[in-house]
Amino acid sequence: MSTRLLSVRDLGITFLTDDGEIEVLRDVSFELNSGEVLGIVGESGCGKSMTALALIGLIPKPFGRISNGRILLEGEDLAVASEKRLRQVRGNDISMVFQEPMTSLNPVFTVGHQISETLRAHFDMSSRETWSRAIEMLKLVGIPSPEKRANEYPHQLSGGMRQRVMIAIALVCEPKLLIADEPTTALDVTVQAEILQLFRELQEKTGTAIILITHDIGVVAEMADRVMVMYAGKVVETGTARDFVYDPMHPYTHGLISCVPKLVHNPSYDPAPLLEIPGVVPSLRELKRTGCPFAPRCKNEIDKCRSAEPSLAEIADDHAVACWNRMETAW
Amino acid sequence: MSDETILEVKDLKVHFPLRNGAVVHAVDGVSFELKNGMAFGLVGESGSGKSTTALACARLVKATAGEIFLKGTNILDLDGEDMRQMRRFTQIIFQDPYASLNPRERAGAIVGRPLDLMRVGKPQERRKRVAELFEIVGLRPEQQELFPHQFSGGQRQRIGIARALATQPELVICDEPVSALDVAIQAQILNLLNRLKKDFGLTYLFISHDLAIVQYICDVIAVMYLGQIIEIGTKSELYGNPLHPYTNALISAVPSVENLGKADKGHVRLRGEPPSPISPPVGCRFAGRCSFALDSCKKSAPRLTRIKGEHMVACHRINSDGKLV
Repeated sequence: MSTRLLSVRDLGITFLTDDGEIEVLRDVSFELNSGEVLGIVGESGCGKSMTALALIGLIPKPFGRISNGRILLEGEDLAVASEKRLRQVRGNDISMVFQEPMTSLNPVFTVGHQISETLRAHFDMSSRETWSRAIEMLKLVGIPSPEKRANEYPHQLSGGMRQRVMIAIALVCEPKLLIADEPTTALDVTVQAEILQLFRELQEKTGTAIILITHDIGVVAEMADRVMVMYAGKVVETGTARDFVYDPMHPYTHGLISCVPKLVHNPSYDPAPLLEIPGVVPSLRELKRTGCPFAPRCKNEIDKCRSAEPSLAEIADDHAVACWNRMETAW
Repeated sequence: MSDETILEVKDLKVHFPLRNGAVVHAVDGVSFELKNGMAFGLVGESGSGKSTTALACARLVKATAGEIFLKGTNILDLDGEDMRQMRRFTQIIFQDPYASLNPRERAGAIVGRPLDLMRVGKPQERRKRVAELFEIVGLRPEQQELFPHQFSGGQRQRIGIARALATQPELVICDEPVSALDVAIQAQILNLLNRLKKDFGLTYLFISHDLAIVQYICDVIAVMYLGQIIEIGTKSELYGNPLHPYTNALISAVPSVENLGKADKGHVRLRGEPPSPISPPVGCRFAGRCSFALDSCKKSAPRLTRIKGEHMVACHRINSDGKLV
């Protein structure tokens, strides 16, 4: 369970824009053990997906580039790996499930073909072997009558079924790391429950580590072992899922948890107004380089926040936060 | 809330014919009533007919059968100028604030358009009203001069809300008003909707797939499945004592922080997928996925039956005391 699989150190990514080069990720560091589930949360534009794309070498080129840091997958630095090597890694060692299953499947090939294609790209297997493996995978992800479904096209499947196919493609080479970027956001809630359960089951069976990117606090709480909160391209808090839910230290984390209505079974529930995080995520172009990027929206702001930027500091075992004036008590 | 009925829908059906002669039964016999000042929630998964029901109430899709009374007038009988005047009282807040604002129009003109169309007041009064609306929804009056692309998603939704409030409607249809927004922005908009409802005595027909949001906003909630209402009740009835197996499954499927680290436990699992609305089953439409279904459930369709208070459920297995038999 606890062998170190991935170690990201001081990762920085810059994008070339009309206004010059801007930093979209700064000093992102985290570790992931095999078999572990890491949740990455934050609003849009905070760098969650960019972190994921960096891991599989899919940062849009030529404008984006890794400007700093290392991405160590079992000791091998992927930040400097060649395109050829990255092609071997993608789909085989690290694979990815995207948010929208309709746009990430190819509409003109059968789903069986698309699963076998992944195998053919990485292994020297006969088409009969890859096809029977594809059917096995469809069965594994819980698609009924897989022999028949393998011959169908994406449009013949429902949204939940398509996402299952995506997961089958991602897992067919038994990757060490699966990155799931908002895998259930486009799905209905009952289907979401099924897919999350599928992730859990498959992970127990195969021991794959998962990076789960989501904005749904409930999903993170149920799925993740550890959580990383990002804001404006930086990590502002990391800790266990329990810390995240019951003892959030960064005002942003606290805000993210408190601003979502929670389903309550008590018949006499009368909701109090939701806690709001005022304002919006700053555009990275306009981000001031001095002070904490969250300060303008923060309710705990003190003078120091505007003049110096806090860095991630460990405050307890496996719980780190970047804040000058962190939350004091658990809510 | 008062006793005055703002909207009453009776046995509404919306069917869409397909080219091959088949018919999609999008909404199939839906009835409900909205009292003044109430927030009425319609929840269900995609394809359950909740948005089509709402659009039919605004006469933006054609109802196949049934009656829709807005303040006592059956709007399905109105046409031309009479219907146009009636639209003043029903306004819509749309889901996607990026698609529902004209990119070439200034924010002030967008918000003022309903006033112009309905010829409310003199032009000068309209300008004053637009400035007032901007303030009501938390925008600065000088932002009227800006174009939609100069606003963030949350601010755009505020423009959409200001536009919906312009003609002082009594019924506001909110079609998934926050599902396109970031979580932190959702809270801002939900709080705004709650405040506006209180300040202006608005009545909401609120469409959402998110059960926690519906619980936060709504007083009475109807759960839809394949074009029909399968359970309806006040917030405390429905969330405190959900009766229909589908409602139970829906509520249980919502991931929550209480299930820390337990994605694989504590959820009621549903088998399969909803049947096609082209040829819905004769019996209970949920029977094929229901773990309590008997053979008789597949033969006859259950009727929506009152259990207690506002609480009604359509299930053969629930008796008149609200117990599973």
